[in-house]
Amino acid sequence: MQIIENLKVKEKLYIEKLANGLTVMIIPKPGMKKKYMIWGTNYGSNDNKFIVPGEQEVTEVPNGVAHFLEHKLFEQADGTNSLDTLTALGVNANAYTTNEHTAYLFECTDNFYEAMDELMDYVQHPYFTDENVEKEKGIIGQEIRMYDDYPDWRVYLNTLNAMYYENPIKIDITGTIETISKIDKDILYKCYNTFYHPSNMAIAIAGDFKPEELLEEVKKRLIPNKPCGEIKRIYPDEPEEIVKPEVVQKLEVSNPIYTIGIKNIRNEKQSKSELVKKVLSMEILLNIIYGRSSKLYQELYKDGIIYGEPSLDYEFGKNYAHVLITGMSSNPREVYKAFKERVEELKNNGIDKNDFERLKKMIYGSYIKEYNDVQDIARMFLSDYFKGICSFDYLEEIEGINVEYLTQVLKDVFKEDKMVLSIVEN
Amino acid sequence: MKHEIKEIKKGIKFHTLNTDKFKTNLFAIFLTTKLNRENVTKNALISMLLRRGSMTMKSQEEISKKMEDLYGASFDCGLDKTGDNQVLKFYIEGINDKYLPEHNENILKTVIESLLDIVFNPYIENEGFKKDYFEQEKNNVKQRIEGKIDNKARYALERCIEEMYKNEPYGLYKFGYEEDLDKINEKDLYKYYKELINSCKIDIFLSGDLNNNVEKIIEENENIKKLQEREPDFEMPKIPEKDEGIQENVVTESMDVSQGKLVIGLNVNINNDEEKYWTLMYNSILGGSANSKLFQNVREKAHLAYVASSSYYRFKSIIFINSGIEISNYDKALEVIKEQIEEMKQGKFTEEEIENSKKGIIAAINTIDDEQDTGITYYFGQELSGSNVSEEDYIKKIENINKDNILDIANKVQINTIYFLKD
Repeated sequence: MQIIENLKVKEKLYIEKLANGLTVMIIPKPGMKKKYMIWGTNYGSNDNKFIVPGEQEVTEVPNGVAHFLEHKLFEQADGTNSLDTLTALGVNANAYTTNEHTAYLFECTDNFYEAMDELMDYVQHPYFTDENVEKEKGIIGQEIRMYDDYPDWRVYLNTLNAMYYENPIKIDITGTIETISKIDKDILYKCYNTFYHPSNMAIAIAGDFKPEELLEEVKKRLIPNKPCGEIKRIYPDEPEEIVKPEVVQKLEVSNPIYTIGIKNIRNEKQSKSELVKKVLSMEILLNIIYGRSSKLYQELYKDGIIYGEPSLDYEFGKNYAHVLITGMSSNPREVYKAFKERVEELKNNGIDKNDFERLKKMIYGSYIKEYNDVQDIARMFLSDYFKGICSFDYLEEIEGINVEYLTQVLKDVFKEDKMVLSIVEN
Repeated sequence: MKHEIKEIKKGIKFHTLNTDKFKTNLFAIFLTTKLNRENVTKNALISMLLRRGSMTMKSQEEISKKMEDLYGASFDCGLDKTGDNQVLKFYIEGINDKYLPEHNENILKTVIESLLDIVFNPYIENEGFKKDYFEQEKNNVKQRIEGKIDNKARYALERCIEEMYKNEPYGLYKFGYEEDLDKINEKDLYKYYKELINSCKIDIFLSGDLNNNVEKIIEENENIKKLQEREPDFEMPKIPEKDEGIQENVVTESMDVSQGKLVIGLNVNINNDEEKYWTLMYNSILGGSANSKLFQNVREKAHLAYVASSSYYRFKSIIFINSGIEISNYDKALEVIKEQIEEMKQGKFTEEEIENSKKGIIAAINTIDDEQDTGITYYFGQELSGSNVSEEDYIKKIENINKDNILDIANKVQINTIYFLKD
């Protein structure tokens, strides 16, 4: 196995790509009782249009298939459900779907190898029937309804819809009650066979292990598989322009909830190092503009216009990238106006060197904190892997960021004609 | 992890959890006081006000800048309702010096001193809290009170609790009441604050890679020296009085929701502390995991819900069942849920279900050492209930529970309130 050591956080990553294409990452945590295993596929709610390796024509599937598959994979041919089997072992098992990947996982203190048997068995053996697919529609239907009642989720999806014309990032991960009604077992098998191939998957494990021995245990549990050809994913062309500058939804909330979105799609390819530096710069910049110590935050807070702290995020993936700033305010339009003014002021007057140094230290610390818990570690390495990043890179690249670089990012990203405002209010 | 307690002064305890497993040191101060209508809103306001500034760090901006400069030490506050107590919680999590690019810092000492300063040395002007901070935070507490409706599932749970504990401390909303807010001014609140910090139970926790020096830093701190000894004024959990004549209280309310939120509050009429462990097992089989009766029957067999679970509140000896359902399926869902409670009473659960639940609970106990905040929460829970059960003893207690114990609990369970939020 290849060993990558990080001297700052004092951790090691053991990584190997197996002959069948599967990547295995192990991060040893001596002394920890907790163990965490996660197996993910590079396949999420955005992958609705693709060409199956070996075929010519394009396959297009209803929205919500990746998430539906996540629910159904637990079902076994012998009538058992793997979630029950894992829970009975005393392990904490779960699965989730994002826009870009789907993952199956468990956390435990005892029975690690028994749980690994079950996880690796069910992910490799789908069992879909007309009956078990129909049954799941009722359950997922209630999951969709649950999200309908979350104002935070509504304001988020509305922001994406105001920014994107075509990119599937704007679609609900679960699909809608209407789209999931069209899902059947043949669609599930087709997507499973396409995307659940080892060469499209990765495993991350964190805990008190000897990596070489653990790798052998993983190999023993893999069923033989031939390497497969490339999956051609088709994503629509997305203009750089936004769809509409403002979107408002009525819901029963105590005060308006707002999200400021900034669309930032880039069509040219970025190197891994540039990508990491971009993410770090965005984190520092967003805190300079609207973090806890910023002038903007302090003023809006003192004036009683905002309640609590806003969340500051930069999200990116295949053919999409955007900033999201979410909070609660008595007057979102005033927040939006003040935000834009502050951005212009920064562009004109430049970034304060002290602010920069201080917030750079803060972001460094935030990456160190990620290494406390086996769950955070394994999940971080897996999701970064699917983005082409090794998680240690953040700790290495941060030193190279300077005010000039940050100023450039500020000018490239924070453009007024790429901004949208989404509001959920009474 | 080694848990040690030292009483610094009567009513003020310093707990250390010494471990080198983490990249961070977590420092926490908990102020515990009796929950009552008179003070609930004041306490909420104090917990919000203290974060605004101290005599040495006079504004939120100054505090934030200091934290950022310590490689992003995170300062956090919380307000909890634990049994019949209100708990004001303050935390700072700082990076262990070992993981800094330069080794000349002493982050832990600064973290400890900063938090003690924020909690015990607030910014005071003219014998009162700073007027504009006070007015702003009053507004923020008002928002928190109104914000109760924002998360509909949590709102349904809060409403169910209020219905079960009408005119009792536990029925109070932890952020207080808007009409009480108007009666408070910055001077009276400061007087109350001084009483509070000199009468409440104070627990100070430090988890991380520690040396002997930390005790000295705390004991010699000026803010600690100023605090008086006290007979801490808090409520130990009591075994609730039996209320056999309870009638099911059914409450239905309307709001703009697309999914119905069903919450059922159950009383568990236990006789002693030992039975709390049995109730934990009962809850696990009823609705505590994916193998539970609720998950299996409401979700997997009847497909009525995505969420179908139960949780046990040991400080009040109650269980809440939660489910999100299609509004028209109310009767059907209620019937399936009641069947599960009935099956438990009839002993229709297997040895296998018992063994599986034990494994799940024991695994959760085993992770206490691997999560800093969980470790602190566990030992604080022990402290509040006046017990000192080690993790090993806790596991033994769970291992020794048998079917009869759980059946005994099943027959002490009574539905108190059925709350349904619909459109």
